[in-house]
Amino acid sequence: MSDRLPGLPGPQPDPTTEGYWTSAGDGRLVVQRCDGCGVHRHPPTEVCYACGSLEWSWDPHGGLGTVYSYTWTDRPIVPALASLGVYNVSVVELDDTDGVVRILTQVTDVPREDLVVGLPVEVHFDPAGDGVALPMFRPRSKGERP
Amino acid sequence: MIELRNQAAIVGIGNVPFGRRGEFADRGHVRLAVEAISAACADAGITPKEVDGYSSYYSSVEPAELMAAFGVDRLRYASQTWGGGGASMCGAFQNAAMAVATDQADYVVVHKVATMESTKRYGQSFGQIGQGVSAIGGPFAFSVPYGLQSPGQMFALAVRRHMHLYGTTTEQMAHVAINARAMAANNPEARFREPLTVEGHHASPMIADPLRLLDFCMESDYGCAVVITSAGRAATLRHRPAYIAAAAVGAPFRYGNALMSFYNQPDEDFASSGHRTVAEDLYKHSGVSLADMDAAMVYDHFTGMVLMALEDFGFCPKGEGGPYAADGNLGLAGPVPVNTHGGNLAEAYTHGMTHVNEAVRQIRGQAINQIDGASNVLVVGGAGPAPTSGMILTGEQ
Repeated sequence: MSDRLPGLPGPQPDPTTEGYWTSAGDGRLVVQRCDGCGVHRHPPTEVCYACGSLEWSWDPHGGLGTVYSYTWTDRPIVPALASLGVYNVSVVELDDTDGVVRILTQVTDVPREDLVVGLPVEVHFDPAGDGVALPMFRPRSKGERP
Repeated sequence: MIELRNQAAIVGIGNVPFGRRGEFADRGHVRLAVEAISAACADAGITPKEVDGYSSYYSSVEPAELMAAFGVDRLRYASQTWGGGGASMCGAFQNAAMAVATDQADYVVVHKVATMESTKRYGQSFGQIGQGVSAIGGPFAFSVPYGLQSPGQMFALAVRRHMHLYGTTTEQMAHVAINARAMAANNPEARFREPLTVEGHHASPMIADPLRLLDFCMESDYGCAVVITSAGRAATLRHRPAYIAAAAVGAPFRYGNALMSFYNQPDEDFASSGHRTVAEDLYKHSGVSLADMDAAMVYDHFTGMVLMALEDFGFCPKGEGGPYAADGNLGLAGPVPVNTHGGNLAEAYTHGMTHVNEAVRQIRGQAINQIDGASNVLVVGGAGPAPTSGMILTGEQ
């Protein structure tokens, strides 16, 4: 369970996804990268959609991206989640990848009227138990690059 | 190559009277399926014992239970398709058509039932995913921990992107709901028959911004069934056959689970209902063009997804689904009337089965909002995880 999102489960790593979640737990964003052709992909899978290679590595990413789409959840989906209040779930497209990489996430620290498609964002991490964390995003701090 | 075009036909349709959410919870799924199949067989003029094949999608009712219940002498065919909810629904008809056209079975029934807990909205069953556990694995590990847990949120992401790319508005989406109410006005089976205005739509509460309550379909308990047989047998039965000109499932490049957990498809397919390739296959295999289409029954779980489906099927250029709906093209006076029964938004939510029923009634000349001389009708399955699906029915073999 994430500290920020009471009532929701955390991610359960498996052999393919473990590096993604534990890197986040260490405060680093990584993206799966094909050893054969260099294309990035997410969510993690066993095979490269572009060249078919089964070999891959974790590639550190700078954590910058832009908001691709979003929705605000105005009503709790189940009563147990009422404490979340009104929240967004957003799709963020990462900068500087070889091939499209979009991540489902939340954009935090943003007033509702300021969350728009194209908003530049930067990653931060929300601990979610057992050495893992959820990559989250927030509007980029002015003049700074993580 | 063997062509499936018009080699199979729908010869019977049936359903139990629609219930509100939770109304049929005590009846059980098998009972609902048995009642619906019995009704569809009566409509076809056959007995349920003659049905030797079952086909469904995302189903909880097993062929074993049905063949035992009806005392079928010899079961010959059984299948179902994947794809959440009603996404792959027309795949069940594709399988049934292939089975009867190749003599794998004489009569195949496509059946689908659902009951919901009266105390829980349908979206809440999604919302239960991950409740009571500390961690969740699989594809949901990348969505549920962030609070993405309902179909409304998932489709809101596609709608928001569509609004951004093409300037689509909530007022334009309202016209899908307005059309559904207008079509349902004289349908005694429909739940919501009162007229709706843009103001009324906008007065409904925001649920998953930009989707309001009246952008969502209702929730229903239901049992539906459809009888399919070969074109040869169909000619001997009591109704005008509704031939399956084509039925297809599919999805475009990198579509995957789409809005459930995967977001990497090209822009034109992200802000879509996922039917672009299905549409290509249907038009190619059916020999029916959009210019020949008399009506369209489009799975309408969310208003915005109807606009995108119309784009995928070429009713208007990509991105212009909003203006197309707002300009009155969905109505009976439009070029291709849409959801002449009221659809999921106004009649009942049956995961697409009643869209097939209405297409068959139009071809038989028995629809409440009958289109003169209707012969070619498009059925579009739900936007959802791969595969999505569609079907073209025709009265002319």
